[in-house]
Amino acid sequence: MLSALVHDDPQTVGPYRLLARLGGGGMGTVHLARTAGGRTVAVKVLHGRLASDTALRARFQLEADAARVIGGRFGAAVHDADPSAVRPWLATEYVIGPPLEDVVQAGGALGESAVRALGAGLADGLGQLHRSEVVHRDLKPSNVMVTAAGPKIIDFGIAWAVGEERLTHAGGAVGTPAFMSPEQAAGLEHAAAGDVFALGGLLVFAASGHGPFGGGQPADLLYRVRYAEPDLGGVPPELVGVLGRCLAKDPADRPGTGELAAALAGGGGRRPFAEVLPDAVLREIARRGEEVWRQPPPRMVPPPPEAPPEAGVVGPGVSRRRMLALAGGGMVVGAGLGGGGVWAWLGTRPGASGGGGAAAEPVKAPSRLWTFASRRPDSGGDVLLTAHGLAMPAGIVLAGVNPESGEGTWQANMSDAWRWATDGTKVYALREHDEGKALAVCTIDPADGRFGKPLAELTDFAGGEARNQLLCVVKDSAYVVARASSGGRWHLLAVDLRRGRERWRSPVEAPGREYAPPMLCGAVSGERLVVCRADAGIHFLRLSVHAVADGKKRWSQSEPYSGAPPGRLVLDGRHLYLGDETLGAKKLSDGGIGWLFGTQRNVGSSAGESRLYGAPALRDGVVYCTEGDRGVVAVDAVTGSINWLEKGLAGRRLNRDVPPVVGKKYVYSLDDKGLRAVDLRTRSAVWTFPTDATVLSADHARGRVYVREERATFALPLA
Amino acid sequence: MCRCRLRGAALEGLWQEDPSRIGEFVTLARLDGAAGAQVVPERRYVARSADGARTVLVSLPAAGADPGRWAVEAQGAGRLVQPGFWPVAQLGGTAAFPWHASPYRPVLPLPAALAAYGGPLPEDAVRAMGAALAETLASARVLGVVHGGVCPASVWLTAYGPLLTCFGAVRAAAPEGVPRAGLPGVDAGCLAPEQAAGGPVGAPGEVYALGAVLAYAATGHTVPERAEIPAGLRALVSACLSRDPAARPEPARVFAELAPGAAYGTQAAGAEPVALPGRVVAALSEQAAGVLAMELSAEVR
Repeated sequence: MLSALVHDDPQTVGPYRLLARLGGGGMGTVHLARTAGGRTVAVKVLHGRLASDTALRARFQLEADAARVIGGRFGAAVHDADPSAVRPWLATEYVIGPPLEDVVQAGGALGESAVRALGAGLADGLGQLHRSEVVHRDLKPSNVMVTAAGPKIIDFGIAWAVGEERLTHAGGAVGTPAFMSPEQAAGLEHAAAGDVFALGGLLVFAASGHGPFGGGQPADLLYRVRYAEPDLGGVPPELVGVLGRCLAKDPADRPGTGELAAALAGGGGRRPFAEVLPDAVLREIARRGEEVWRQPPPRMVPPPPEAPPEAGVVGPGVSRRRMLALAGGGMVVGAGLGGGGVWAWLGTRPGASGGGGAAAEPVKAPSRLWTFASRRPDSGGDVLLTAHGLAMPAGIVLAGVNPESGEGTWQANMSDAWRWATDGTKVYALREHDEGKALAVCTIDPADGRFGKPLAELTDFAGGEARNQLLCVVKDSAYVVARASSGGRWHLLAVDLRRGRERWRSPVEAPGREYAPPMLCGAVSGERLVVCRADAGIHFLRLSVHAVADGKKRWSQSEPYSGAPPGRLVLDGRHLYLGDETLGAKKLSDGGIGWLFGTQRNVGSSAGESRLYGAPALRDGVVYCTEGDRGVVAVDAVTGSINWLEKGLAGRRLNRDVPPVVGKKYVYSLDDKGLRAVDLRTRSAVWTFPTDATVLSADHARGRVYVREERATFALPLA
Repeated sequence: MCRCRLRGAALEGLWQEDPSRIGEFVTLARLDGAAGAQVVPERRYVARSADGARTVLVSLPAAGADPGRWAVEAQGAGRLVQPGFWPVAQLGGTAAFPWHASPYRPVLPLPAALAAYGGPLPEDAVRAMGAALAETLASARVLGVVHGGVCPASVWLTAYGPLLTCFGAVRAAAPEGVPRAGLPGVDAGCLAPEQAAGGPVGAPGEVYALGAVLAYAATGHTVPERAEIPAGLRALVSACLSRDPAARPEPARVFAELAPGAAYGTQAAGAEPVALPGRVVAALSEQAAGVLAMELSAEVR
């Protein structure tokens, strides 16, 4: 757990001389360090490149305050801090003991008495925190250090004071999905009772070796946290009751910290904490107490001078320094202070301003019109356009954004991207109605994000079923996939929103796995509704076409497909366009092949990859997509013959999952260097805006392209 | 007057008679705070170099002991590389004021371990510690090395097993022929009858002292009533404490009795952390945390 300093770690931080690395996260690095008087501490240093961010500085200050509040008995005693230093730092005691996560992973579940003692100690610690009006908000097994004297809660990176203005960005989900409270997962206030929920989950993990909501993708986890019953399998029966109460969905049903500590401690007096720990844990604690006194490993030597850049391209964003920092962080997993949570999330912010790009590019990249801080969900992060403004999934809410200023205007508690859709003027959402007995379609008010009165109530369908999906809304008709209340069969249905009633239904297979978001998308072209389904781990898209008038299935087929499932369907009156091994046009009339582009083409260095053509975009009868790593190719939508191929692009890795955005002068496409603008007349790139974005949304009416990075969304002019 | 306020087990603040500096080191705390009634053969301190970089455990002769004889034994200890013996890294001082020092690591003298545990140690802990000590003495005997200072305060429990300190304490107390009972630096309860009378400090005396240490760990005294000793250890401890040197078992035999079936050479290796009672680990941790947090005051730097 002690690893060598890297060559560009500073010699000193404040009054401390650095000895070794203990851990690293996105936001800072934790070092073992010593004063001139020989006091040895853990010092957490904010990354230099983040130190200019005033919000992060404020967060750092808050972290230091929270660490002081919990004190040395239930946390790491704070020795000193300087949040106003050029690189802010926080020095705490070096905690002797492994993180609970390592304890359970290495030695398996703890026995009942250890879980009780652990829980009682943590409940006391949380109580101390809550009495000082601080909420931890990210309690999890890697943030609890198991020492011989008791558990210590560390890493207050996202704690906040009750009533304090939130330092998190609008809608930025913070916390760790596996141990989030349902209210946190829903983007609501996570108060003291939320910490109790997290503690319950943590104790289930300690007692059984698994979290109460399993593992897997964050989106799945968030879903289960909110809707699924916790899995208490493996928890000793004596603890099931009390831990189950901690995990109640309603915060009001959870015990307070005092009550919880008493319930866990049982009637008898508490034994010394070390007595209940297994031998292996005691040995690890003792080992760590010795290790910190050993001679630290020598500082790593600087790397040799940089090799000549490959293919003449040097990335503007990733410096050697940063790569080394990442490597250093990777070596010290489990070191305790510093990992996880917001530390990791905040770390990968790419070059913040415009400009840059390859030297040969003739035009300066435009500046951002605005930036909206928000967390992009893992999938389905498209910006929705309405007549009144923008709406975008941000973390676990839907956030309204003013398209002129980029300011957040409202948040709707609607985390599930598959349950909303827009027809270009309004945002529609599928909601539970009548206490889950019915399903309703309603609008989201563009001014304040409130849900409107149901436009249609579907009493035959189970409102509480979270896989119900709103595919699209076209001409006052909503197309929905939903589960019937009786019998549990799934149906595709068309709902007349003006009359408020179902038009037709057609049986379909259950979408996806239980507790996982469905991966359906749908679109209407003329008289046809196209539904596309992508199941995880299966390299096929299942396409079906139904008549809009009566729902009758016209045809269906499976299409081999190796890329990320398409987020939206690209179709015109004639064809559906898909980019994969080839760029193909599928006839909507019967599913036959309209044309295939790329069967005989030389795609250069990308030959042999299973996916050569990127997700397409359609504009004015031309299909645009990436071809290998050669650039954007423009193909006639009717005939499939090539119009042109981008010129002079080399040394970039093109993003095949995100369709390009086509403007009047430029086509915009993402690659590993950023957002590239390709001139439609010269057919060569004119500028690159550095970004690691993975969502592009075109707003032709307002002349904007919206670019979504992991933690920020910004607007560029669409020319 | 206590110059340094310390919280926690096994360390105690400095007193008026304690040296404020030992060579290049500034003394921070006494190691033997909680030794109780046990005789400690040396004065032992946690100390730190004035630049703060090196923290050490330093030993001085006991008050009233002969510094010259002590220094000879310290030099001997410095030359030995013996598994299970506390390594002496640095010798210093003058003929009148000798000392030796080694890098700090968390250690609990056996009396402090009993104090932390709250009484005699459980039998399995006594057996594990005893097996490691017996193995250490057995391998020393093969090389003809006699420790000559085994007693409760000279056994330091660490995360990686017990280590023997106070090398040659009995030899240092007086030359052969001089009765040693009651001399400074000698724990009379661990002194074999032949050594107390001034006889040679030989191998059988080591086994007697080991028996006394086992008795201490299991009962809290070096000279217990037979009935006090846990039944499983009674015969072995009694045999070690035989008045007749010839009746005492060999260290290898003690090892085999304490750790039946264990492979010789595995106990005193110190490569892996050993099992210790929770409260002992807690005391080791508390000491380590206390020393980590200690800071030299500005005036001594």
